[in-house]
Amino acid sequence: MCIIHPFWSLLVSGLSDGFLYALIALGYTLVYGVLQLINFAHSEVFMSGGFAGYFILNRTIGSHTPHGLDSVLMVVLGTVGGAVFGGLVAFGLERAAYRPLRRRNAPRIAFLISAIGASYFLYNLAGKEFGRDAVSIKAPFNLDGNAFRLFGAQVQTYQVVVAVAAIVMLVGLDRMVAVTRLGKGIRAVAQDADTASLMGVNIDRVISQTFVIGGLLGGAAGFLFGLNYGVVYTMGFTPGLKAFTAAVLGGIGNIRGAVVGGLVLGLVENFGSACIQTSWRDVIAFGILVAVLIIRPTGLLGERLGRSA
Amino acid sequence: MHSRLGGFAPRAPRSAIKAAAVLGVAAIALAACGSSSKSTSSTTSSSSGPSYTIAYEGPLSGGNAQLGLNMKYAVQLAIQQANAGKTFGKLPFTLKFTTQDDQGSATQSPTAAQALINDSSVVAVVGPAFSGATKAAEPFFHEANLATVSPSATDPGLATQGWTNFFRVVADDNAQGPADADYIVKKLGDKTVYSVDDASAYASGLVATFDTAAQSAGATVTHETAPGTTQCQAGTGNVQQYGALAQKIKAANPSAVFYAGYYCDFALLAKAVRGAGYSGQLASDDGSLDPHYIVQAGASVAEGTIASCACGDITQVPAGASFVSAFKKLAGFAVGTYSAESYDATNTIIDVMKGLGKNITRAAIVTALHSVNYQGITKDVQFQSNGNISGTAVYIYQVKNGSFVQLGLVSQLVGS
Repeated sequence: MCIIHPFWSLLVSGLSDGFLYALIALGYTLVYGVLQLINFAHSEVFMSGGFAGYFILNRTIGSHTPHGLDSVLMVVLGTVGGAVFGGLVAFGLERAAYRPLRRRNAPRIAFLISAIGASYFLYNLAGKEFGRDAVSIKAPFNLDGNAFRLFGAQVQTYQVVVAVAAIVMLVGLDRMVAVTRLGKGIRAVAQDADTASLMGVNIDRVISQTFVIGGLLGGAAGFLFGLNYGVVYTMGFTPGLKAFTAAVLGGIGNIRGAVVGGLVLGLVENFGSACIQTSWRDVIAFGILVAVLIIRPTGLLGERLGRSA
Repeated sequence: MHSRLGGFAPRAPRSAIKAAAVLGVAAIALAACGSSSKSTSSTTSSSSGPSYTIAYEGPLSGGNAQLGLNMKYAVQLAIQQANAGKTFGKLPFTLKFTTQDDQGSATQSPTAAQALINDSSVVAVVGPAFSGATKAAEPFFHEANLATVSPSATDPGLATQGWTNFFRVVADDNAQGPADADYIVKKLGDKTVYSVDDASAYASGLVATFDTAAQSAGATVTHETAPGTTQCQAGTGNVQQYGALAQKIKAANPSAVFYAGYYCDFALLAKAVRGAGYSGQLASDDGSLDPHYIVQAGASVAEGTIASCACGDITQVPAGASFVSAFKKLAGFAVGTYSAESYDATNTIIDVMKGLGKNITRAAIVTALHSVNYQGITKDVQFQSNGNISGTAVYIYQVKNGSFVQLGLVSQLVGS
């Protein structure tokens, strides 16, 4: 009954959640692909994007209410601002928290601790600097407004914006990795870093660029997320964890897998919590994850970054 | 005051926790310095006859001192006005005022209580202010049969100990759920209610009493638990959970949604349900009675939302106007949380003493308080046999034009 009645509404909100998960999940998957490292500080890259979008938009919009083309420009400005700042933070993170360890051939566990440390540092810094209460980004368009109806379900303008922005970025990333020189470098390092290095690929540079790409997507997601839910220093924690789950679900290290994992997770969570209880949402999501991993330990799509795309 | 917070002010949960932490530190520091209870007397006598002392016990130093001062000056004001014949006409006795500083702490409180008990001129006490302090001091007060009227201790357990001398003019923590149910079902006439709690200990207790009361009032209740979110630092939930929950609520289309929890998550839920196209009544508890709710949900979403609290806002009541200005004149700062309740507690005691005339003893005051009926500025003061305030002493607030406005006491709103 729960599946049938608000089916289309849940499908829409599930996809909208899923696209955000996918954007964040790519940050985990890309870094894992080249470094076999889970960058747990990625949730703070996401948060940084939210704050960048908040400061840029609230300063630009001021007291007026954007309409029409102005709204579109504001969304683009916020997304780009969030992305750029996310990219900067990710770049700094790689330089400060990971590269020194890599230089010293530190054991894998050291990277993990470094990631967790960086994450704590960043979100406490944000909490101290920007306050402990959630702040709202000034709406560049009517967030409660509806764009159109899909089989009776209202599709909010916000959900359309998230979907369009996510699809543009996902397709862009997919083509970039498949076609460009940088993409080739990323795939080469992912496949076999030592050989790639012998073939003349600058590994340090590729890793740095991979972090920045993940940061761009994560920062943009932070802005899109903050637009609806508000921006606060703790905002990255659960979405980060969920996106990591999505990345594993789809097959960690696999770009398309992260997208599929994100969308599946968003849908499962929405239908699951509507069918049973909101408090069961995580139980359902992680139950599915465990079930998938038992059957397919490499995730749904299961390939490594090097062989994908 | 609020057992879930361990602190004081119901409108500022986080600062209350902080205040409690400061208090703990202060208590330790003070215990290390040894006892330092001191008594101050301020007399304003113009009338004749015997003199009796009404005492105030509460925090007057340490992290919660301001909260104690909010109360102390209200007690002092009531006594001054009574001596001047303003409130009860000419009294056949003179009232004196003394204070004991317990720092709001359970370790300081017995010492403070003992000092008041040993002072034979003290016939009744306003306080203790905090639930923990009350719990620690009350066995001593009970033994001495000295009446205590607390303006602020809200722990439900205090009324279950058989302390016949214990009274409070504020509703306890258990009163809110049934009061909300009464208002929503009986006054607003909402017969289908969707109740949501944030899985915190306080909210699940509150929502259970709400559900029971709403059902017995004839409403159909659907209950759901949505854990407080990490974003709001209120639990393990994810803010995106509200999208699906909102769709579910829209599909069920109840006439009211009641949320037990805090403003941050309630704002997210409110935005989500309005975004999903739900247009029924939104309601919550004192955790949501905070201007931040309106900011975070957005003024248009928040408009019309109701919230309840055992705390009244005296500045919004015409009957409180003269008290508010007299308090400011005496204290040098504006009325704060529980000032008006302290004023009522004191006047209730004076009312009883006036009735006793020449037969004032500690025991006589205790006995008389059990049958008192005094019209205070916050509420009509009558006590149940366990010392709790009679009726439903919970206030309803509503967001009107972007700010919370007090509508009144539930018992009066539902009764009318």
